[in-house]
Parts: sequence; structure tokens; C-alpha cells
Amino acid sequence: MPVIRVDRVSKRYRSRAGGRALLGRGGLFDRLRGVGRETQLVLDGITFSVEKGESLGIIGANGSGKSTLLKIIAGVTVPSSGNVRVEGRVASLLELGAGFHPMLTGRENVYLNAGLLGMRHAQVEERFDDIVAFSGIGEHIDSPVETYSSGMYVRIAFAVAAHTNPDVFLIDEVLAVGDEQFQRRCRNRIGELMEQGKTILFVSHDLGIVNTLCNRVVLLSQGKLIERESPRDAIDFYLRQVGAENGLHSFSQGGTEAILCDGRVSLFREGHELSAPGGFVFQMYNLGRWHTSTEADWQITVRTPRGCIARGRMPRLPITLLWRLDIVDGELQWEMGYECERAIEIDATELRMLLPSSMTRWACDDLSGAFPELRPEDTAFTPVTTPEPLCEMAAFLPPEGSDHPAVIARMKCPRPRITGDLINTDYITGCRLFRIAEHSPRGAATLVEGAYDWLSLRVGTGTPETVRLMGEQAGKFVLQSGGLTACFDRGKVRLAKDGVQITKHLHLYASLRVGSLWNDSTALRWERFERDGESFTAEGVSRRFPFRLIWTMRPCEKGFAMIIELEATEAFEADEHQTSIVLVPEYRSWRTEHEKGVYPDIEPGDGDWNHINRTYSPAAFAEATGPGLPTVRIEADGQLPHWMTAINTSALENARVLQALRIPDRTAMLRFAPGRHPYFSGCVRAE
Amino acid sequence: MPRMNSLVYTNAQQGQLRRLIPDIVRGRELLRDLVLKDVKVRYRYAAMGLLWAVLEPLFMMLVLTFVFSVVFRTRVEELGIDSGRKYAVFVLSGLVPWQFFSTALSTATRSLVDNRALVKKVYFAREIIPLSAIGVAAVNLAIGTLLFAVVHGTLIGMPHAAAFFWLPVAVLIELALVVGLALLFSCAHAAFRDVGHIVDAALLFGFYATPIFYWPGIVHSALAERGLDAYYPAYLANPMAGIVTVCRQALFAGTVDAALLAWPAVAAVLSLVIGAAVFRRRTALLADAL
Repeated sequence: MPVIRVDRVSKRYRSRAGGRALLGRGGLFDRLRGVGRETQLVLDGITFSVEKGESLGIIGANGSGKSTLLKIIAGVTVPSSGNVRVEGRVASLLELGAGFHPMLTGRENVYLNAGLLGMRHAQVEERFDDIVAFSGIGEHIDSPVETYSSGMYVRIAFAVAAHTNPDVFLIDEVLAVGDEQFQRRCRNRIGELMEQGKTILFVSHDLGIVNTLCNRVVLLSQGKLIERESPRDAIDFYLRQVGAENGLHSFSQGGTEAILCDGRVSLFREGHELSAPGGFVFQMYNLGRWHTSTEADWQITVRTPRGCIARGRMPRLPITLLWRLDIVDGELQWEMGYECERAIEIDATELRMLLPSSMTRWACDDLSGAFPELRPEDTAFTPVTTPEPLCEMAAFLPPEGSDHPAVIARMKCPRPRITGDLINTDYITGCRLFRIAEHSPRGAATLVEGAYDWLSLRVGTGTPETVRLMGEQAGKFVLQSGGLTACFDRGKVRLAKDGVQITKHLHLYASLRVGSLWNDSTALRWERFERDGESFTAEGVSRRFPFRLIWTMRPCEKGFAMIIELEATEAFEADEHQTSIVLVPEYRSWRTEHEKGVYPDIEPGDGDWNHINRTYSPAAFAEATGPGLPTVRIEADGQLPHWMTAINTSALENARVLQALRIPDRTAMLRFAPGRHPYFSGCVRAE
Repeated sequence: MPRMNSLVYTNAQQGQLRRLIPDIVRGRELLRDLVLKDVKVRYRYAAMGLLWAVLEPLFMMLVLTFVFSVVFRTRVEELGIDSGRKYAVFVLSGLVPWQFFSTALSTATRSLVDNRALVKKVYFAREIIPLSAIGVAAVNLAIGTLLFAVVHGTLIGMPHAAAFFWLPVAVLIELALVVGLALLFSCAHAAFRDVGHIVDAALLFGFYATPIFYWPGIVHSALAERGLDAYYPAYLANPMAGIVTVCRQALFAGTVDAALLAWPAVAAVLSLVIGAAVFRRRTALLADAL
């Protein structure tokens, strides 16, 4: 027995436009003169029924009659023809707090509003404490609501509506209010109501929410009802169907299809959704609030079957987003930039890529891991990785054996300070989030007038093997030796033993001091990558001094042999140089050829890079041990005298260091004549 | 087993007249809340609070008593009433029911439009909106009646026993009349906003067409002087004329010409039936017109 039965419902509205200004409109005179006779058919023979416990999403463009349909079901208005039968009590959240009077206290308004929604005093009393607790209003409940912040107002209003214990719940776009935390609480509450077997009708523009909350989705289009087999089909159909409108373009090539819909990009590949229903959106943070690309007023200036150029004017920022999207070789190419009309402070800029939860593993360059499973108790977004400088490639992989392709994103970013991280969303949203973010340091956030490139992104598909190969193409080399992995990445080498990373931050790197300036190997311009069987060579050119480092590594027993040479193009002098392994802080004790000791705990007041060893004389090795960690060892092969030292970094960096330091004899400087010189020669081991 | 307050309805049934009484019974708490809301809101931020509900009519009565017992004393005696004090009570006895009639009708007519935010968003028995406006006026009527009783008691003494029967009857008829007219007018006002203005103008005229500060006898004799006797029933067609006159007779003469109440009673029942039927039929489309 359906709870709601809508039978051939049509609704015709009389147009209220026109009329002479002084005589008013819609009045008797207009009627006598026959003005305002035009009518508009908003709903045209709608028939459907909703079973108990179903949650039905209603989507459609603006003015498609969604709200009218809800109003008819709520009994607020009646159809011009046809019939609606509703069994049970209906609570409509058509507008929150419609019955609130600003001068009454929260408590009085709760009773009044609940009464309007059909509750009796005795029933309100039973639930009153729950309502107050849900709203989080606390003792303000006895203050007039006009003293409430708008957030509090909305919270108490939603709390009343959500606790009226209706049989049928009508929700019209109300989830777009309140802060993110409250919206989450609302979504969870709706989830609870669904579990209690309530019938829910849900109208929203947020296709992601509709998709996650509703087990059935219907589409209203020009007053007619269109139903597809699954919610996903209905949403896809909707996205395509409104394709002719401004701000929407659907384009495809070679089995890949992308849809740009008012600032949201959705991507499909041969029937698989590569993006989650929430799609990919761009947003900017200014004055305490995110401004999302979906709020912008979009114009598609160039449309081709394979791509488009779109401009999105942000409604509350003097910024126009400039996007160019193309599909080339089955890969979405997305150039993101923006134009700034006048100086404005932007604290952060983000691209949020929501990916389906069927992606269970991730890989960023050579690092990889698994996403924790999404569980119903996840009510907040949980970080999976910490924000790191943006990698060049991120891949999202389905479980082994799935026919779903891996999603590969490759980024080229002309701006510094862009980071990338991975997040698990809450259970209801049910997605993986890849966030590319640019955070401006305090006080330096001002954008001046002009056009900016922000990011160039390519999103395509591949297999796990392509993911691995692409990591290497990006100028990164992965060497294996037993369970030890070394990943060379532009002047630093990440070390991991059996998948557990043992280095952090700068990892294994080299640095040369000229005057007071340390020239880290990570700051060199790396080029000329060569791979020869198991070994590789890379060259890093200094941007400041006339030298380059030639870095060669190859696997050897229990580790890697490493030779670093310095090639000077002119004669120059340096103060000292070092090769260091920056280890995770779990390493507890260290040992050199001459002495051994324990790393003291790093306190916040400690200075930068404190030497812990007391002996300074050339030695053959230094090693560090920690509970459950492999012993890490740096060995020099004796070509050059190196002082082996153990160092604690600052509390901020929180790392242990083994260092091979080379200093000049007594007073002289290290002199480099033009030509090649040894810099470090030895090996790095872990067992 | 459906819960107490669960509904099974179809849109077609919503407009049925027989659902009127159950709907209003179901909404009685809401009706009370809405009346209380208006009363509370009116006096909430006033330091003297609800006291104003008493002070306002009290002040008006004092002014009237002063004006007619001191300033217009001689003019009053020409009217054939023996004292100014008695005249003040006389005016009040007409003014209290008229004030109720006038404010109730005027606010209830506009109530649907004023509360359109509610009507367009939430479904409940729409009759509750004009009824609550009448309820607010009724609160003032109750306060006014109490004050009138005090004034009457101090200036004249105990009223005739007939008053304890006829006053409630008259007020009941007036209430039914107001409810019926309010349902009709509020519904009409939603469709044509001119109705509110017409009602206000009619009420202004009604203040003079109702025997509030004179006996209807004056009208009768004035018409008779000009040989227009036949038009006197037209004067009495104003149901408030009959109601106020009966109140007066019960208070001051002790005997009542009950026939005077016949037409008001018929008018009340008619307006109630027509008002409720029209309102119910149009109620479903009200949200569209607002």
C-alpha cells in the first residue's frame, strides 16, 4: 500500500504579470478587462506512488515544478486536476522556521511551530529535550529568537521539523543552510529517519546528496515526470538533458565523456563513473567562507564536441574563473585559471575531486596505500594523507580484480605552495576526496588585478601497471633491494622498508655550504635522467653556483650503493658539505665507529639541528636503530674523510638525522677546480 | 492502528465541508497558541506588559466618562437621559461590542494575507488563521466587558437580572456573525486586496449606523418627521443595530424586545454557513492567490 499516491496530477497557475501600476494588478479591473488570463501549466499529468520507507529524490531544472509538486503533496495547494492521496502525517520542510515569530522565545516558537506541523503539546513535551539537544541552542532556548544568530535560527527550526515524527517528510533544498557541521548533522538525521522507515521526498539541486540519500530518483522536466531505472541513470539523464542550457556542456571522445554543469565537472568512461556524483569543483576561501565554482554564473563561450571554454563569474568575488576543458586521447585535459578584476585577499584555493568509493587504493608518484573503509559511524571527513607538496601524478585504483579502471590524475602547476592530500568523506557522502589546495601564508594572500593560471590537470584511466610506469616518467626512480625501496625524486631519496617509510621530510639528501648558504640537493634543477638496468644517474644543476651534482645509485647487498660527484664549471670554494638521512623520530639510538648513544627527546625549545655526538673525526659509518624499525646505516667507502654525526632536528621538523659531513682541513676552504670531484661515495643500508 | 493525529486524506477531500469541524478540533491547540502568540507579542517588550490590555480600554472609558458627564452634560440632558454619568455607561455599553466587531472583522479580513508566509508553506486547517485573529479581539472583548462591569457597578449599581441572560446571547450571536463574515471576507481579500479597504470603509460607516451614542428611537423619529418610516427596517438591517439595542434594553430597561434579535440571529447563521462553505471551497486554492 503506497503512502503517497499521485494520480494524473496537473497544476495550472494563472499568470500574475501585467496590470496598470496605479490600479494594482490581479484585481477586479484586470479581471474585467481580461488581463492576466494567461495560464501556465506547471505540472502535466504526473502519476507516481511512493511506498512506505522509500526515499524519493526529485530533480529537475529551476521552474520544472518540483516545489509545486511538493506543495501539492503537503496539502498547501491543490492540483487543478487529478488527485493526491497521502496516508499519515506530513511534515514539510518547505521553508524552515516559516511560523517563527522573532519576538517569541525559542521555547514558545518550538511549541508553535510544532503545532503548525501537526503536533500536540503533549507530544512536543516528550521530545522537547531532544529538540534542544539537536539544535545545540542550550540556554538560549528562553531568549527571543530575534536575538539568535541566523545559524541558530535555522538549527532550531530544523530541529523542530526533524523531530515532529511525521510519517512523510518533504525536504526542499533545506540542507543548503547552516555551517558544514550542521549540514552533516542534518544529513545524518535524515539517514536516521530513513532507517526508521520514514518516507522521504527530497528536492535538491545537489545531485550528490540526492544520489546518496535517495533510493529512487525521478526527474521533472517541463511538467512531466521521467523515471529511469536507477538513481544514477536518472541523474545522468538529467545532466545530459539540460545540456542545451547555459553553463552546461557535455562532450566526449573515445569512450570518455565529461559533463560540465555550472562549475562542476563529472567524468565517465564507458559506463563507469570516474567521478563521484559530487564531481570535481573548484573553490576559493575569502572572509571566512568558501566560494564554490557551482555558485558562479557560467557562460560557455566555445563549445566543441570534444571540449569547451567556460567562464564562471563568481557572485561574491571580483573573480572570473576561466576553464578550458578538452578530451584528448580519452583523457580529460583541464586548464584552470582565473581573472581578477581588482585586488582581493584569497586565503586558500582548492580543487576538490570527489571520486567514487569503489576506489580503494591510491598512489601518489611512488607512494601508495589503501583508503580505510567508509563506515556508518564516520560522520566527519577523515584525512588519509597529510597535505604534501603536490605530486605530479595521483592515481586511484579499484580493488584487485575489479574491471573498473584506475583513475589517473596528472598535474602541472605553475604556482608554488600547492599541496595535495587525500581524504575519506563521511559515510553519507561516501566518496574519496582528492584535494589540491593552495594556502597563502598570512598577509601574503592578496591577488592583484590580472589573469592567473592555477593548474593544468589531466584525468584519464589506466591499469596499475600504467600507474607505476607513469611514476617513473615523472623523473623519479624506484630501486628495490630486498624489502628496501629507494625512490629518488629530484635530489632526495625516500627510503621505505617493507612499505613502511623510514625517512621523512628531506629524506636522504645532500647539501653544500657556500658562505652562509646551504645549497640543498632538493633545490637543484634536476635533468638528464638515465636509467641503466638496475642503476640510474641523475644530474642536478645549481641555480646559484657553478656546479652540478651527478648522483648515481644502484642496489647492493641490503641497500644501495650511492656515488655523488660534483662537477665544477668554474673554480669556487665551499665551507663544508654533507650527505644526510633524515629519519622518522621513532629512531631512538645511534652508533658510529667511535661512539654510541641515545637520541634525547626533542623538546619544543631545542634549537635547529643539534649534534648529539661528542667525537668529531673521520669515521667509516653511522647507524641508527629504533624499536620495530630496520637499522639504518650510512657508510663511506674511504675515498674521502667524512665525519659521521648524529643530529636531532628542531621540534617542528621532529626527525633524527645521520650525517656524513665533510669539512676542510683546519683553516683552509674546500676548493673545487673546474672538473669532477668526489662528493660522497659509499652506501646506504637498512636491515 | 493509525495514531491519534494521523490523517488519511486526498486533495479532493480537503475541500469538503464535513471535515471542517474535525479539522478545527484537531487544531484547537494551534488556535490557542496563535491567539496567545499575538497577545504576547503585542505586550512583550512593554514594561507594564499585559497590564496595557486593561489600561488602554480603561483610559478610553475614563475619557468618555469625563467628556459626557462634565463637558457635554447639558447636551446629554437634551437627549432625555437624566445624567452624564449614566450616558457614559450608555455609550460604553454600545462601544464594547462594537469595538470587538470592528477590530475582529478588520484584522481577520487581512489575516490570511498577513500570514501568507505560513499559509504558503505549511498545511493546517486554514480557518484557524482568521479564527485566531478573532480570538485576539475576543480577549480584548473579555477585558472590556470586565471593565464595563466595574464601571457599571460603580456609576449605576447592579444591572437588571435580564442582562445576565440577554448579554451572553447577544454576544454569542455577534461572535457567530463575526466568524461568518470574517471567513467570507478574508477569503475574498486573498483574491482581491480591495476587500480589506472596503471592509474598513464599511466599518467606519457602521460606527454611525449602529446606535452607539444614541438611541435607535432618534433615527426612527427623524425618519418619521420626513415621512420616511418605510426606511426604518433598512436601518435595522444592520445586525449590529439589533444586537447593541438588545444589550441596552437588557442593561437599562430590564425588558427586552426579543424580536430585535431575530434578524441578527438569522444573519449570523447565514453568514456562518456561507462563510464556512465558501472558505472551505476556496481554501485549497488560497496559497496560489497569496
